[in-house]
Amino acid sequence: MLDVSHAFGDRVALDHVSFGVVPGVMTGLLGPNGAGKTTLIRILLGVLQPQQGAVQLRAMPVTDAARRTWGYMPQERGLYPAMKVGEQTVFFARLHGLSRRVAEQKSRQLLDELDLADRWDDRTDKLSGGLQQRLQLATSLVHDPEVIVLDEPFAGLDPVAVADLSESLRQRTAAGSTVLFSSHQLDLVQDLCEDIAMIEHGRLVLLGKVSTLRASSGRRQLRLHLDRPDRAWLQAFPEVHVVSDQADELRLGIAPGTDPLDVLDAARAASRVTDFGLDLPTLSQLFLDAAHARPDRELVS
Amino acid sequence: MRAWWSGTRLVWERGLVENVRSKTFKIVMVLLLLASAAAVILPQLLAGGVTTYTLATVGRAPASLVAALDAAQVKGDFTVEYLARGGVEEVRAAVQAGDATVGLADEILYVAAGDAGTFPVVVAQAVVRLEVADRLTRAGLTPRQVADLQSVQPPKQVTVAPVADEKRAAVGFAVGISLYMALLFGGSAIATAVAQEKASRISEVLLVVLRPSQILAGTVLAVGTVTLAEILVLATPVLVAIGVRDDLGLPAVAAGDIALGLAWFVIGFGLYAFLYAACGALVNKVTEVSSAVMPIVMIMLAAYMVSITVTTHDPTSPWSLVIAVFPLTSPIGMPFLWASGEASPLLLLFSMMLAILSAAGVISLASTVYRRGLLITGRRVGVREVIARHRD
Ligand SMILES: Nc1ncnc2c1ncn2[C@@H]1O[C@H](COP(=O)(O)OP(=O)(O)OP(=O)(O)O)[C@@H](O)[C@H]1O
Ligand SMILES: [Mg+2]
Repeated sequence: MLDVSHAFGDRVALDHVSFGVVPGVMTGLLGPNGAGKTTLIRILLGVLQPQQGAVQLRAMPVTDAARRTWGYMPQERGLYPAMKVGEQTVFFARLHGLSRRVAEQKSRQLLDELDLADRWDDRTDKLSGGLQQRLQLATSLVHDPEVIVLDEPFAGLDPVAVADLSESLRQRTAAGSTVLFSSHQLDLVQDLCEDIAMIEHGRLVLLGKVSTLRASSGRRQLRLHLDRPDRAWLQAFPEVHVVSDQADELRLGIAPGTDPLDVLDAARAASRVTDFGLDLPTLSQLFLDAAHARPDRELVS
Repeated sequence: MRAWWSGTRLVWERGLVENVRSKTFKIVMVLLLLASAAAVILPQLLAGGVTTYTLATVGRAPASLVAALDAAQVKGDFTVEYLARGGVEEVRAAVQAGDATVGLADEILYVAAGDAGTFPVVVAQAVVRLEVADRLTRAGLTPRQVADLQSVQPPKQVTVAPVADEKRAAVGFAVGISLYMALLFGGSAIATAVAQEKASRISEVLLVVLRPSQILAGTVLAVGTVTLAEILVLATPVLVAIGVRDDLGLPAVAAGDIALGLAWFVIGFGLYAFLYAACGALVNKVTEVSSAVMPIVMIMLAAYMVSITVTTHDPTSPWSLVIAVFPLTSPIGMPFLWASGEASPLLLLFSMMLAILSAAGVISLASTVYRRGLLITGRRVGVREVIARHRD
């Protein structure tokens, strides 16, 4: 996705956003409400034409024909209410070019995976919201797409379904599919995604590997349990600040660019260390930081 | 093209299955069947009912008269009852009181004021016949010669309309009226189907897999098929009835005229159907459909009104020409002009080409409206808005 901008009237929904999604790596798209995630995804899928910029696939402008093979689940769900569950997935599989026989076979298999097999002959509008959500997912995955784009796929699912879907997405990624999804459930994204992109007010504020982002953030904390109350050794690290110092537990905020192991070594030289640990910030903390701070260009890698 | 068609066909099939399964379809079909059957049976029940006439005479009616009237009532749809009265005054009174349709006394035929139908003529003819037969026999003719003379019948009457080509007229009227009916049935069904897809948000998924033209064409085909089935259900019993009792005298129609009529029907249906579909994409709620399609309904109604008020009476009027050629009214206007015999084949072809071109334009316009309109929810979308956004 290259330098994409889009505005609805005077409201800028996307402001010069560029990023890439790597095949075989699951990518999460994060951002607060109204950040522009859905707009970005719609542009990606060609539902919206961007006012500026372009979407590329392997360094070539992506064609409509290529997009038709992708799997897409929009945030605003859409199913034919009067259609039967099985017919619905078969219909979408056939729209993607599968023969009737293969479409039926794939549908049964997928609905079985999603625990919907016994609802095959039910009308879609007789399903509960969460079940419809699973069916929606089935219609976007039934043709084993190479590129999978899901807008808020986890919203409204129970924990078991969330685990099932996570597992299914993991498998598809491992099999080489390109997976991008947007979500608010940050702990989930943290566990599931290798890469994230975070947008806020239409701008990209965070991009990269989850592990790198967490490790390089100014939010890392070193937890030390020391025998002696002596803190003089800390003078050697002006960029390290004390978060809390209660009883025997000392919490230190480690700035990016400082190796926490150096700090640990200095502590060991001054006192016996009975316990220690390095706490990386959770994605939620990064999310909150990014959402509150004005766009911090340094974080964009 | 093949890929375009296979996607379109899937949308068509799906729409058809859903339509046929729906309760509405079943109810409409049953109602249409009933209406159609009623249209065939009712007139026969009403008109075919046997009328009874009563003849009052002084004393019993003469046997020869009864025999003559019996012969007449076999041909006509009536039976005759007889009333014997004592004298001329009583016969007259019976007719006056409404007890008898006709009274015969002293060579005078008393006829009830009001609806006596053809009965007085029948009685008068019978009396004359008897008298003539009597005199012919007395003049020496054999009974066979008399019967032969009396078998002479007046020529049968057939009413003819002042139309140049009766066969064309029939096809033209049939196409004009069935197109109008089909669009009345089918048009808002198409707009509703599109609006429902928009409301259920299914369209966003469809737009990624299909082109707007495929979605629209598939929907139009599905509703078109259903509408055609409904028209056939409505028309078949009538056509069969006409075929069985051929006294209605339907003209034998040339295959070429039928082919032209069908082509025109398809073009006209397509042109209007895509306009309806575009309107469906503009609404926010399904309930707004009827007001959104108002402009199209008005245009169609205007074309229809001008056709039946102006074209059928004065086909050479400039108005008739205008509505038969202008692409938005021609699908309805042209068949009527054609029926009047005033449209040359060249004019028909020209109008047809114009309609095809504008149908193509309407499809691309409707596709744009569909693509843009579907993402704007929460309010009614203006036509200008989507087209303006198309330009930049
Ligand atoms: N069709 C539209 N017309 C006008 N403005 C729109 C339209 N769609 C989105 N916007 C605006 O663009 C901005 C981005 O919206 P978008 O739906 O992309 O946000 P989002 O990140 O998906 O939010 P959420 O987390 O709530 O789904 C918002 O300010 C929204 O009001
Ligand atoms: Mg969204």
